Amino acid sequence: MSQRHRKKIAIDSLDSTFKFQVARERGGEMIVRCFDCGTCSASCPVRQVNERFNPRRIVHMVLLGMRQQVLTDDFVWLCASCYTCQERCPQGVKIADLMIALRNIAVREGHIHPFFSVQMKILSKAGRLMEIGDLENKKRCRFNLPPLRQDASQVRVLLEKSGFLSDDKEGKGD
Amino acid sequence: MAKKKEKVVGDLRIGVYVCHCGLNISATVDVPELVKFASSLPDVIVARDYPYVCSDPGQKLIMKDIQKLGINRVVTASCSPRLHESTFRKTLQEAGLNPYCLEIANIREHCSWVHADIVKGTEKAKRLVASAVARSSLLEPLDVKEAPVTPQALVIGAGISGIQAALDIADAGFKVHLVEKEPSIGGHMAQLDKTFPTLDCSACILTPKMVQVERHPNIRLYAYSEIEGIDGFVGNFTARIRRKATFVDWDKCTGCNDCAEACPVKVPDEFNMGLSERKAIYRSFPQAVPNKFVIERDVCIECKKCQKVCKPDAIDYDMEDELVEVQVGTIVVATGFDQFNPSLKPEYGYDQYENVITGLEFERLSSPSGPTGGKILIGGREPKDVAFIHCVGSRDETVGNEYCSRVCCMATAKQAHLVKERVPQANVTVFYMDVRAFGKGFEEFYMRVKEEGVFYRRANPAEIYRRSQRLVIRAEDTLLGKTVEVEADLVVLAAGMVPNINTQAVASLLRLGRSSDGFLMEAHPKLRPVETAIDGIYLAGCCQGPKDIPDAVAQAKGAASSAIAPMARGKVEVEPITAVIDEDLCSGCRICEGVCEYGALSFDQQKEIMTVNEVLCKGCGACGATCPSGCISLKHYTDQQIMAQIGAILSHVR
Repeated sequence: MSQRHRKKIAIDSLDSTFKFQVARERGGEMIVRCFDCGTCSASCPVRQVNERFNPRRIVHMVLLGMRQQVLTDDFVWLCASCYTCQERCPQGVKIADLMIALRNIAVREGHIHPFFSVQMKILSKAGRLMEIGDLENKKRCRFNLPPLRQDASQVRVLLEKSGFLSDDKEGKGD
Repeated sequence: MAKKKEKVVGDLRIGVYVCHCGLNISATVDVPELVKFASSLPDVIVARDYPYVCSDPGQKLIMKDIQKLGINRVVTASCSPRLHESTFRKTLQEAGLNPYCLEIANIREHCSWVHADIVKGTEKAKRLVASAVARSSLLEPLDVKEAPVTPQALVIGAGISGIQAALDIADAGFKVHLVEKEPSIGGHMAQLDKTFPTLDCSACILTPKMVQVERHPNIRLYAYSEIEGIDGFVGNFTARIRRKATFVDWDKCTGCNDCAEACPVKVPDEFNMGLSERKAIYRSFPQAVPNKFVIERDVCIECKKCQKVCKPDAIDYDMEDELVEVQVGTIVVATGFDQFNPSLKPEYGYDQYENVITGLEFERLSSPSGPTGGKILIGGREPKDVAFIHCVGSRDETVGNEYCSRVCCMATAKQAHLVKERVPQANVTVFYMDVRAFGKGFEEFYMRVKEEGVFYRRANPAEIYRRSQRLVIRAEDTLLGKTVEVEADLVVLAAGMVPNINTQAVASLLRLGRSSDGFLMEAHPKLRPVETAIDGIYLAGCCQGPKDIPDAVAQAKGAASSAIAPMARGKVEVEPITAVIDEDLCSGCRICEGVCEYGALSFDQQKEIMTVNEVLCKGCGACGATCPSGCISLKHYTDQQIMAQIGAILSHVR
C-alpha cells in the first residue's frame, strides 16, 4: 500500500460538495447509491494486475470528499472501461462511466495524466495514435494494402474545437 | 351536465377552520393572515385556527359552531382528505349536520409541504381556501345507504398466512372458502426444515394447523383450485372458483400411495425444488392436506397402471374442471411469494454448477423429509467448505429488485447453524453486505451462530467459477480491502423473495394496485397495512411484501380481524357519491356502459335509457365524461361545484 493511503485524512481538507459535483456530471449520477459491497473491485480485471486500483475505494473517496487525491492520483486513468463492474453493480452505480466523469472533471481542472498528454501530442501530429512512416507503409505494401498518408488536419479541427490544442492543458496534471 | 340549479336550504352559513398541524402548516403558511382572509369571503360566518383541528378540542370547536352559530357548511384548511375526511365527516354528523356538507382545502400536502417560501405559501393557501369555500356553498346533503353483508369470507392462497386468516375467521363463527392452487395447502412454510431463531421444526408447527383447517366445520377447502373471477363489492362479492380436474375422485382416494408406486412417469419434484423426482400421479408431500392424489395430465402417458392398482377405484380419466360460484362478504388475499431465480445472476453459475443451490433447495436438503433424509450431501459426499451468499436478487438493481427481502439474513444464519450441526467439521463462510437481525431474538441468534464458528466475511462476491473440482468465489473482503478467492464444495445463494408469478393476474381480477416493488399495495403503509384500495379486500403475508413467519402470521390475523368486522356488523355503508342520470336527456346510446369498470350501469329496455346501480357505482366519473349528451352528473362532484372551485382559484390570479 502506498504512503498516501497510510496518511491520516484531515477532515478540513475534505470537500463535502465533491460528490454532488460528480453526481451532476454525466456518468456520475448514481454515485451516492454505493453501499460499499465491493462487487466492482472483485470483478475488476485491472485490479487483478494492480492491487492499487480499487474502484470501490475511488467511489468511497469521492463520497468522503477527497477531491484533491481523486483528481490528481493516477488511478482514475487506470480503468480499462471493460464495464464488468457496471454490469454487476447491484446499486446501479455506473462505475465505468463514473471513471470517465472523474477524468472529465480532472481534465477541466488541469489534471491530465502525462501519458495522455503524450498521446494527445501524437494525435495532433499524426492524426492517429501511431505515427505512420516508411517502415509501416512498406509492411502494408507486402500485404497488398494501400499506403497510408499522415494527415492530422481533420483531427486537429476536432482537437481545436474541443479545446485540447488551444488551452494547452497538457502536462499540467501531476 | 344536470342543468338544474343546486338548491341551498336556508341561508348559507360557512365556517372555516385553519389547522396549524403543529409546524407542518404554520411554518410555511401565515395562519392568522389566512384566517383574516377567510373571514372576508362571502357567506363565511366564522373563521378560526387551531393547532390540531383533528384533535378532540379541535373537533369540539367545529361542533360548537355548528350548534351555536348555525354553521351549515364546514371548510377545514388542513391535511389531505385521504387522512381526515372521514374524521371530520363524523364531527359534522355528531353535531347534527349532514357529513357531506364538508369541504377540505388541502393546505398541507398541496401547499406547506411542497413550498418553502411563506409569502408564496400563504398566497397559495388563500387560493385553495377560497376555492374550497366556493365549492362548499354548492354542496348538497347526501344520504348514506346501507347494504347487507354476506357472512362468509373468501381466502385466496393457503400458505401459512392464508391458513391463519382462514382459521381466525372460521373461529369467529363465519364460513370461510379457502382456495389453494396447489394440490396441498401449506405453501412455502411446508418446505422449510427448521425456523429461525428458535429452531422449531417447521413441519411440527405447521402440520397441526393444516389438519385444523381440514377438520374445521366452518372452513370449506378448495385445493387444486383457482379463482376465475370476482364481481361485486364489499359485503356482496361473487367469486367463481375453478376446481381443476384432479383425475382422482377425492371422495374415494385414501392417500395410500399405491398409484404413485405403480406410475412409470418420473418428473422433477417441485416440492423438493427439483432435487428429487415424483411421479405423474402424485401428492405434494406425505403430510399433504388434503391427503389426496392428482394426475398431471401433461406428462401422463395414460398407461392406466394407477387405475389397475387403485383399490378404491378412484382414478377417473374423464374428470373435467368444475366451476363453483360462492357468495362472500369479504376477501383475504394471501397469494404469497416466489423465490428469486438466480439464473438472472449468471455470474453465480447457478445454472452451470450443481453445487450452487438456493436457500429453499438447502431447506429440502437439510429437511428430514427431504430427498437425503436430512443429510447434507453434495454428489453423495458431505461438503468440507460451505459458503453462503446474502442478498442474491435483493437490494440489486441489475435485476430490478431494490428492496431488502428481510428474511434471508436470518434464514442464512439458521442454515449456517444447520451445516455446523450436521457437518461439524465443515468450514462455513457467510458473505454479507449487512446483517439485518432486527426481530425478536434475531441478534442473539446471529451471535450464537458466530460463536459456533461460522465465519462472516463482509463482501459481495463478484463471481463463482470452477477450479478443478471445486468452486471458487471471488470477492473483495471490503474490511481488508483485498480481493479474496474462497474455495467451497457447496455454495448456498440466499435468493430473495419476488412477487408470486400470479400477482398480476390476482391484481387484475380484484382490481388491486401494486407498489413499485411489484407486491400488492396496501391502503396506507402505516395506518392501513392490511386493507386495500378496494373495500372488503384485505392482504395477508408475502403477497404484500417480504415477511418472515411471525410477521406473516401477525398480518394474517390483522387481515382476518378486518375481514370479520363488516361480517360481524352485518351491514356496510355505501358511499352516496354516485352517478345520476337525467332521464329526460339520456338517449340510450349505451356508450357509458362500456367505460364503467364496475358494471354499475345497465340499460332499461322499457324506458330505453341507462340506469345506475348505486351500490355498485364507485363514483369515478368516467361515465359522466363519456356521455355525449351530458346527461350524467356525479353527486358531490357536480360540474357547478367544480367550476365554482376553479373560478375561485382563477379569480385570485393577478
